[in-house]
Amino acid sequence: MVKLTIDGRQTEAKEGAMVLDAARALNIYIPTLCAHESVSAYGACRLCTVDITTRSGRNRMVTSCLYPVEEGLAVKTTTEKIAAHRRMLIQLLLARCPESPELKAMAKKLGADDTPFPKEDPAKNHNCILCALCTRACDEVVGQSAISFVNRGVAREMAIPFYNDSDACIACGSCFYICPTNAIQMTDKNGKRRFVMPHNTMEFELAQCAQCGRYHLPKRQIAWMAKKSGQPLEFFARCISCREEVRL
Amino acid sequence: MKNLGIYAARLTPPVEGFAPGHRACIGCGEALAVRLACKAAGENIIIANATGCMEVVSSQLPASAWRIPWIHTLFENTAAVASGVEAALKAMTRKGKIADRGTKVIAMAGDGGTSDIGLQALSGALERYHDFLYICFDNEAYMNTGIQRSSATPFGASTTTSPAGKKSIGQKTWKKNMPAIAVAHNIPYVATASPSYPFDMMDKVKKGLAVNGPAYVHILSVCPTGWRSTPDLSVRLGRLAVETGVFPLYEVEDGKYKLSMDVSPLRPLKDYMSIQGRFRHLSEGMVKKIEDRVRKDYEQLKERCA
Repeated sequence: MVKLTIDGRQTEAKEGAMVLDAARALNIYIPTLCAHESVSAYGACRLCTVDITTRSGRNRMVTSCLYPVEEGLAVKTTTEKIAAHRRMLIQLLLARCPESPELKAMAKKLGADDTPFPKEDPAKNHNCILCALCTRACDEVVGQSAISFVNRGVAREMAIPFYNDSDACIACGSCFYICPTNAIQMTDKNGKRRFVMPHNTMEFELAQCAQCGRYHLPKRQIAWMAKKSGQPLEFFARCISCREEVRL
Repeated sequence: MKNLGIYAARLTPPVEGFAPGHRACIGCGEALAVRLACKAAGENIIIANATGCMEVVSSQLPASAWRIPWIHTLFENTAAVASGVEAALKAMTRKGKIADRGTKVIAMAGDGGTSDIGLQALSGALERYHDFLYICFDNEAYMNTGIQRSSATPFGASTTTSPAGKKSIGQKTWKKNMPAIAVAHNIPYVATASPSYPFDMMDKVKKGLAVNGPAYVHILSVCPTGWRSTPDLSVRLGRLAVETGVFPLYEVEDGKYKLSMDVSPLRPLKDYMSIQGRFRHLSEGMVKKIEDRVRKDYEQLKERCA
């Protein structure tokens, strides 16, 4: 165990744990957009920046989601400097996605009303902040890596390979679920599941239940589940409400 | 409603506000609902919990299943206690005695504590516009004390105080429409949910907490003990309740109705009733009569949502 202080409070954390986790264990709020318990830390949004002073007296600002705890570390989560830094960060994000309600709410929380920077064209209106939660979830949780980042620098964007239909995607909707700014939309309509992503749209056919006729799961997801579980494809022919035999 | 599949479940928060090891029956739909609600609400909450199953199974001395601040209240004053907690938080923050951490207040009760005994306090709290979320875990009778009928018990259900027999068909009255009563208070958010649709339920709890003002979420919690069904069918029963139209899922935001999912054409009511012992005595004609009423109510709801 490693001893450190966060906002003047003594605490212990496991070696290798990040400062953000240690602070959360003390119920100290640090704003984040790209952090999630189920995927690895990435440090894209930088909002979790904190002020640290190491045992040797070195003082600097670091992203708490990527900084491992150290013996004798002193962390401050709410200084003037940090508040100003976080405000600037959220204003930059807000300039990129000016219409996002989630970013607006976060900006309000951090004390920034509007952004002084030139706003991106609202017609583009993609709401994607490149936090990589979707690509990390697809890679680490689903294990498919169906979506990824393309290009570099200012041209960087989240996309499926060659902006074309992704063969790897199983239409599970994890990316839609994890997205902090609702940049990915998922709708089931007329027997099709449709994903609207910032730079592409994908459609998947839904399977009909053999018994009640309702659309229940994307065909590709059924194939994936059959492969993973070793059950025959016929097992998934009926929806979950029709599947097992009813008994009393 | 989004029909989220296999992997999204692994992205839900791993923190358990309602810890395992409590004494709920096998297959308890209510324990499942409470657990999911706690996951959705996070750790920065205070819960006022009425007497009922969840209080009894979770807090037998010296143990507690709660990892979040929790207070047990009487049947009748849950909403009053929650409004007091909310008012105190507000006042103490204003006076600078505690830091503003955005702590939210949740009141939770069973159907008896909500639609019978606690209705007066609930109505008062909704009218005073306290910023809190009231969750009703509806298992359709007083299950904790031994399956006595409540005003939320559906027509035809056999309970210990509305037993089915030669001269009785069980519960003689129709289920009280509690969400409609909450809507009538002109509060910003009312919703019905079911733990059989976990993502939808968690969304609704989150939404209820996020609105400024009172919110009411009515959750159908399958009770294998009182419904006389097998425990492994709990999740399925919750789904069938929705798909047969008995318990449609909808939200009311600022008075505007919205169906969370349109399940028409409805499944035959038989699918839902035949796997529950409490409806076993009902003749086919009777089930048909109930089905007609359910369909009529569903059509009315759909009209309201249009």
